[in-house]
Amino acid sequence: MTLTLKSATFRAQREADWLALEKLVQRARLGGIRKLSAEELQRLPLLYRATLSSLSVARAIALDRYLLLYLEDLALRAYLVVYGPQRSWFATCRHFLSRGFPAGARAAWPHILISFLCIVAGTVTGYALTDRDEAWFSTFIPAAMAGGRGPGSTRTDLLGQEIFAPWSGVAESFGLAASFLFQHNTIVGILSFGLGIFAGLPTIGLLLYQGLVFGSFLCLHAHRGLLIDCIGWVSIHGVTEFGAIILSGAGGLFIAEKLVFPGRLTRSDSLALHGETASRLAVGAMLLFMLAAILEGGFRQLVANTPLRLLIGFSVGACWITYLAWPRKGAGA
Amino acid sequence: MSSVQDRTAAFLGGSVRRRHSITTPEGVQLTVELADATERAAAFLIDLILIVLANIALIVLVVVAFGLHHQARLVIALTLFAGFLVRHLYFVRFELAWQGVTPGKRVFGLRVIDRSGGPLLPGAIVTRNLTREVECFLPLLALFAAGGGAVENVFLALWLLGLAFIPLFNKNRRRVGDMLAGTLVMVVQKRVLLPDLAEESSEFSFTDRQLREYGAFELQVLEEILRRPKTAETEKLLTDICGRVSKRIDWPDPIPQSQEGAFLSQFYAAQRAHLEREQLFGRVREEKREKQIGVAGE
Repeated sequence: MTLTLKSATFRAQREADWLALEKLVQRARLGGIRKLSAEELQRLPLLYRATLSSLSVARAIALDRYLLLYLEDLALRAYLVVYGPQRSWFATCRHFLSRGFPAGARAAWPHILISFLCIVAGTVTGYALTDRDEAWFSTFIPAAMAGGRGPGSTRTDLLGQEIFAPWSGVAESFGLAASFLFQHNTIVGILSFGLGIFAGLPTIGLLLYQGLVFGSFLCLHAHRGLLIDCIGWVSIHGVTEFGAIILSGAGGLFIAEKLVFPGRLTRSDSLALHGETASRLAVGAMLLFMLAAILEGGFRQLVANTPLRLLIGFSVGACWITYLAWPRKGAGA
Repeated sequence: MSSVQDRTAAFLGGSVRRRHSITTPEGVQLTVELADATERAAAFLIDLILIVLANIALIVLVVVAFGLHHQARLVIALTLFAGFLVRHLYFVRFELAWQGVTPGKRVFGLRVIDRSGGPLLPGAIVTRNLTREVECFLPLLALFAAGGGAVENVFLALWLLGLAFIPLFNKNRRRVGDMLAGTLVMVVQKRVLLPDLAEESSEFSFTDRQLREYGAFELQVLEEILRRPKTAETEKLLTDICGRVSKRIDWPDPIPQSQEGAFLSQFYAAQRAHLEREQLFGRVREEKREKQIGVAGE
């Protein structure tokens, strides 16, 4: 008696395709499909679909355990190659700058507005409190961060050592800015983004606090007749830096909204769906933080002229707004 | 993967991992096996060691290039900046270029995939790795930085511990970054195509009634045992199975010891041919206890 097994015939007919696909998948394992030649690239999707169809047939007719396991496995590995990330590192960056970042900012404009208003509210409060009693300054700003400023500072101190302090050279000033950046600002940014998962409350708190510090700082200078000079001094990098804080805060608030009000989706679906917009904001904010550090280290003390400082600071700000809000073809992609 | 295959694996004592089902854009359901928390932690540890080594190399490079005696502040700033770039670019770069794999993940055969079966987008990769900063790196750096108060350190340690255990408390073993990015970490198995066990020739022949005794589950357990390397233990097991099978199907003659292997593999082939034929007619039989339904003529 001879047996003819349906699954054995089926296997004999298609085995060659599976082995060919396995070879391609093995070669494309690291580095993706860029490792394959043009001819192999043409064959890959055909072999992949043939194997998927083999799998579906095998599930229906075959009881050969190892054949089924092998096909499941091969189909999955081929699927990962076919649908793996195909963009290069460079193309990812370019796409992010030309499309992703502006699209993220536009998608979250209400959150950006809220984030901005939180900072404004903090600033006004900080200013008003310090206006009444300068002791608030030391409350808001720990001595380590105040850099020797405080209710005891005189107008000459502030002018000579801070606002129009002589430029200390490339190395020293960049070093100062960069170390400050990575000790404080970026951390605040990342925290206000990441803490969005706690319903956004810590994010709002952080934004308000940043405003308080700034308002108190402004008031200290205003009492010594330096309000405009101070704004000029801060604006040259501060417009960009506050932009970064606002964007990362907006990212955190965006996450919070999608988590607290998922709508028809489950919370995890909602997060997964909107996580990308939030991360676009956060990555964009990091970029702004770095540019702010360069502006702070390089230009702030080099440009010793308040109107010019104001001009630079706010035109950079206008550039950011134009860049983010400018309508683009096929936006949101 | 069907329930029969799962049951066979469980019956033979293989570990059954957590599973997640994805639907490919072609509409075929594929089952992925999820990575254990321990595997992921170990992979992360390897990546962390590589990052630390890269950082040490960078610090040495900066110190050699600039010298230590002057501009210490610049040196510190540069290393801080470089460390920040290294740990971000490391994960994003590898997961982009290696299709969701980093060196650490590669050691354990792990891979990041999209949760719902779509393509793994660069945005998702950036998201899941940016969140790592809040989840792990920042608190870790703050914890090691000098000058933190005791209360803050306890808080940071609790934060780290809390986030580290999140993957244990959800079904798909996802960390916060995975939730934000909609990704999963799976284990890639690599199985090879083994030769078919069913042989064409046959000294033993079985009747339909004899082949009606068993179902797909028993068939696959038999296949597993037949594929095992021929040790003394397997031989003993085969003798035992041979006895049980011949008793159940009322095989008339005793089977000599030397013929047991041949008898079982031919019984396997005949049984598979029978079950596959029945399945083609829509009569699926998963195991022996299940009654055969709707057999023609009965």
